[in-house]
Amino acid sequence: MRRLFKLSLQKPELVSAVLLIVLALVFQMSSNAAFLSLDNMRGILGLLPETALVAVGVTLLMICGEFDLSVGSVFALMPMTMAVLIVGGWPFWLAVLTGLALCAFIGFLNGWLTIRFDIPSFITTLGMMFMARSMTVVVSGGFPPRIKPGEVPSWMFVGFVDDGNLIRASVLWFAGIAILIALLLARTNFGNWIRATGGFMPAAAAMGIPTGKVKIACFMICSVLAGFAGMIQSLRLNSFLPSIGEGMELQAVAAAVIGGTSLAGGIGSILGGLIGATLIRVIDNGMVMSQVDASWFKFAIGALTIFAVVGNAWLRRRGRAMKVETDK
Amino acid sequence: MKKIKRLAIAALMSTAATGAFSQDPLEIVFTVHSGASNTFWQAVQKGYEDACTKIAANCQMVYVQTDGSIPEQVANMEAAIARGPDALITSIVDNTAFDDVIQRARDAGIVVIASNVDDLEGAAGNARQAFVGQGFEPAGYGLARSQWANMPKEGPLHILVGVSGPGQNWSETRALGVTNFLDEMIAANPDRKITYEKIDSGTDLAITSDRVGAYLSARPETNAYFDTGFWHAGVAGVLRDRGVPPGQVLLGGFDLVPVVLDEMDTGYIQVAVDQQPYEQGFLPVMMVYLAKTVGLAPVNINTGEALVYPKDVASVRELSEKGLR
Repeated sequence: MRRLFKLSLQKPELVSAVLLIVLALVFQMSSNAAFLSLDNMRGILGLLPETALVAVGVTLLMICGEFDLSVGSVFALMPMTMAVLIVGGWPFWLAVLTGLALCAFIGFLNGWLTIRFDIPSFITTLGMMFMARSMTVVVSGGFPPRIKPGEVPSWMFVGFVDDGNLIRASVLWFAGIAILIALLLARTNFGNWIRATGGFMPAAAAMGIPTGKVKIACFMICSVLAGFAGMIQSLRLNSFLPSIGEGMELQAVAAAVIGGTSLAGGIGSILGGLIGATLIRVIDNGMVMSQVDASWFKFAIGALTIFAVVGNAWLRRRGRAMKVETDK
Repeated sequence: MKKIKRLAIAALMSTAATGAFSQDPLEIVFTVHSGASNTFWQAVQKGYEDACTKIAANCQMVYVQTDGSIPEQVANMEAAIARGPDALITSIVDNTAFDDVIQRARDAGIVVIASNVDDLEGAAGNARQAFVGQGFEPAGYGLARSQWANMPKEGPLHILVGVSGPGQNWSETRALGVTNFLDEMIAANPDRKITYEKIDSGTDLAITSDRVGAYLSARPETNAYFDTGFWHAGVAGVLRDRGVPPGQVLLGGFDLVPVVLDEMDTGYIQVAVDQQPYEQGFLPVMMVYLAKTVGLAPVNINTGEALVYPKDVASVRELSEKGLR
C-alpha cells in the first residue's frame, strides 16, 4: 500500500488530476449545478478536442526535449489551405491530405533547422509562428473562403454521434489519436527513444538512438496534430478565418506543464497533457458560469501553472524521500 | 565588375529621368492596431490599395504583430514619420498614447487622418485632421435600439453584452452605446424587470461561443446577446446544437463577415451593423490627394451605422465576397 502511494506521488499528472476534480466540484456548486449540465458539457466537449489535440502534440514534443511555438499558426494555416483548395475545385479528401502534408513539412522544417543548425527550437518555431501566420493570410488573399454548409462531409469530424447531441465525432477522433500516441510513448521502442532523447540526449545518442530523427518525427507529429485540430474547429464553426489559434501555443505549453510535463524534457505523459488542457477549458468555462469576472481568466491560468509545477516538484521529492520496504 | 557598374549607372539614370518628367507620387502610410490576420482589415486594405492605385501613390499598410498592441503601433508610426511621408493614416485606439507622435507628424508637415477608430474626445483629443469611420457609441446604440423591436413585449428581460476587447476604445464604446440604450429602456419601463450583464467575450469564434454558451447555461433566462464584433456568429452554432430555435435568444453585432451573413440566413442573427471597411481605406487616401494637390482640408466622414437585416443578405453578400463591405 505504501509502495503504491509512493508511486502515485511520483506520477507527474497527479496534482492536476486532483485539481481538476476539485474545480469541477467547486464550479458545479457555485453555478447552481449548471456546470455539469448537458448543455454546458456539450460546449466544453466541442472545444476541448481541438485544444487537447494541440496540447497532446506539444506534450509529446516537450517530453522529447523541444518546444513548438508555431502550433497556433499551423492551426490556422491547415484549414485555410484546405478551404482555398476546395473553393478552387479540389476534392475534399485531397485538400485535407494536402493540408496535412503541408503541416508535416512545416514540422519537418522546424525539426531539421533545429537539429541541423543546433539552435533552440524556441527560436526556430518562433520564426515559423510568424511565417505560418503570414502564409495563412497570403493563401486566403485576406478574405476567408466560404464553404457552404453541407458542401463538405463535416459530419465525419464534427457531427454528433449520440442521440443526445452531446458527443461529437471530434471527441472520438481525439480519443483515438490520444490513445495511439499514449501507446506509442508507453509501449514502443520509439516511445523509449523519445523519453531517452528528451531525458539526456548525449547518453541516448551514445546508445545508438537516432536522436535527430526522433526529434524531427516528434516535430512532424506535433505540427500535423495542430493542423488537424484547426481543421476540426473550422469545420465545427463552418468558418475559415486566418485569425484562429492566436495565443494557442502558450496555452498548449501551459497545458503540458500543468499536466506534469518537465520543461527540461524526458518526463511527462499524454494523460497529463489532456488533463492540463481540460483544466484550462474548465477554468475558462467555470469562471463564466460562476459569473466571476472573466478578466481574471489569464490570472487563473498563470497561477494554476505555477501551482501545478510547484506541487508536482514537491510531491515528486516527497515520493522519492518516502521509504518503503523492499522484498527480501 | 564593369557590367555591374554599367547596370547601376543605367538604373540611376532611369530613376533620375522618371523624376524629371513626372510629379513625385504621394507617399502614404497606414498604421493600424490590428494583426494582418483580422479579416475585417483586409477589406480596409483593399479599399486603401484601390485608392492608391487610382492616384498612383506609393502606399504601405503596416500591421502590428500582436493584435491591439499600442506600443507596436506607435513604433510603426515613428518609423513611418522618419521616412517623411506625405500622409499618415492611423487608427487611434487610445486617447493619449498617440498624441505626441501625431503632433510631431503634423509639425513635420505630414497630413494625419484617423480611420476606423478615433480618440474618444474627437478632434479635441489630438492633432489629427479628420476621422473616417464609424461613431461607435451611436452604432452600439442603434444596434440595441434595432434589436429592441424583436424583444418580448412583456415580462422580465435579461441581456448579455460581450465586450470583445476589454479596455479597447472600439469595443468598450460600442458596448457603452448598447448599455446606454438599455439604461434608457430600464428607466422608461420602471414596472418591468430589465437587467443586463457584461462579460469579456474574446475575439475568437470558438472562445466566444464557449463563454457565451457557458453563460447561457448559467442564465437560461437570457433573451439577447450583443457582441461588439462579429464573434456572436459562433453563438448561433451553440444555440443550434442545443435545439434552441432562431429568435429565442436574439443575436446582434457588428461587421459583415461571411459567417455572420450565413447565420442571418438561418435566422439566428437578426441584425448587424455595417461600418463600410472598404470606405475606411479608400476615402482617407482621396482626402490626402485633395489636401496635397488642391489644398482642401480633410473632413470627418461617418462611414456607417448602417443596419443590415436578413432581407438584405443576398445583396450584401456579393459585395462582401468581393471585399467591398
